Amino acid sequence: MLTAVNHLQGLATRLAAEGVEVGEGPGPIVPELKELYWGAGSFIVFALLMRFYLFPRLKQGMDARYAGIRADHEQADAERASARAEVADYEAQLAAVKAEAAAKVDAARQALEAERQEQVKALNAQLAERRAAAQAETDAAKAAVRDQIHAAVADVAGRAGELATGRRPDATVVARVVNEVMAR
Amino acid sequence: MLAEAFKFPEINAILRWQDIFTSFNKIALIAVAAAVIGIVVFLLAGNKDAKVAPKGVRNLAETTVEFIEDGIVMQTMGKSGLGWTPFLLSLFIFIYLCNVPGIIPLLQMPATARMAIPMFLALLVWVVYNGVGLKHQGVKYITNTIWPPGVPVALKPLVGVIEFISNIIVRPFSLTVRLFANMLAGHILLVTFALLTQSLITAETQQLLLKPMAILPFFMLVFLTAFEVLVAFLQAYIFTILTAVYIGGAAHPEH
Repeated sequence: MLTAVNHLQGLATRLAAEGVEVGEGPGPIVPELKELYWGAGSFIVFALLMRFYLFPRLKQGMDARYAGIRADHEQADAERASARAEVADYEAQLAAVKAEAAAKVDAARQALEAERQEQVKALNAQLAERRAAAQAETDAAKAAVRDQIHAAVADVAGRAGELATGRRPDATVVARVVNEVMAR
Repeated sequence: MLAEAFKFPEINAILRWQDIFTSFNKIALIAVAAAVIGIVVFLLAGNKDAKVAPKGVRNLAETTVEFIEDGIVMQTMGKSGLGWTPFLLSLFIFIYLCNVPGIIPLLQMPATARMAIPMFLALLVWVVYNGVGLKHQGVKYITNTIWPPGVPVALKPLVGVIEFISNIIVRPFSLTVRLFANMLAGHILLVTFALLTQSLITAETQQLLLKPMAILPFFMLVFLTAFEVLVAFLQAYIFTILTAVYIGGAAHPEH
């Protein structure tokens, strides 16, 4: 800043030394011709170059880049939409496959259930058959044992009657009496 | 003692500059430099690869172009005014680069603090917007300018005089004076506080408190220098936006 101050201070001295009096020349609000034509010339050259060369060149590059960016944005949008469609398609396929799988699982479950029911039914029938056979066998064994007991009791009763009376009672009568007594 | 030390130079001593060579002084140098800097910046910017994200000089140029397009043209003239971008861009850059030397050490003189450049630019703008008006509206431009639509017949003579003076005479005058006076006032303020600081520092006085008081005008000088940064931009912007408003008004009177 001191440089500037010194510069200003020295100005009047230098102007005087070079033969230009301080305060010489037109007033401060009067345009000086040399400043006018240098200023005008500079601006006109700058404006013409700007209009016909500098600005179009820069703007062309800007427009091309913006167009590229716009195209990239559009491409990105299209790819995003395409990806979204693919995802939706995949999700639809996934849902269809899931539904199909669920249907197959249901069908298999139903088939298995039917088979189980059939096998349970068959086993129950087999069990009932075996139970009936066993029952019949048991009943036969019981009857056999009962006949043996009847025979033994009848034999004992006949022997007892024979010992008591000295005569052997009729076997049929003894058997009937034994049956009646044992049936009570 | 202090009054003797503080001698403000004659106004021409801080405004008029000796010729560097015949008919070429510091103002001419600043004007030529402003144009050359503008041309070089845009040439360099144009040479950079436009496909990649702009940086450096290209970023500066593109930011300026977008500022003019979005901040001035679109706001005042709309899309139809985009063709005026190169002219308004040249105007803004040239005025700004002529203003800024007011705070650049060694140069320390805004070229627009002299009457020639603001006057030429204002007259050029006057010619341009009247030309645009005549081109778009034909002879009706003159009647539309003097008598805006809807003015009662009885008021036409009065309004005609007022509008004629306002649009044809005052506009270029106000454009010139606004730029010139603001930059001149800033320059004089900087000179004043710089000289006051120097006078207080170098004063031959017995009063010990006087020299430290130089800090006050020095702070003011620093503050005004920062303020002039804003003024340099603001004046270029105001001149350019008013130009856009005048051209837009001439091209589309309904607005």
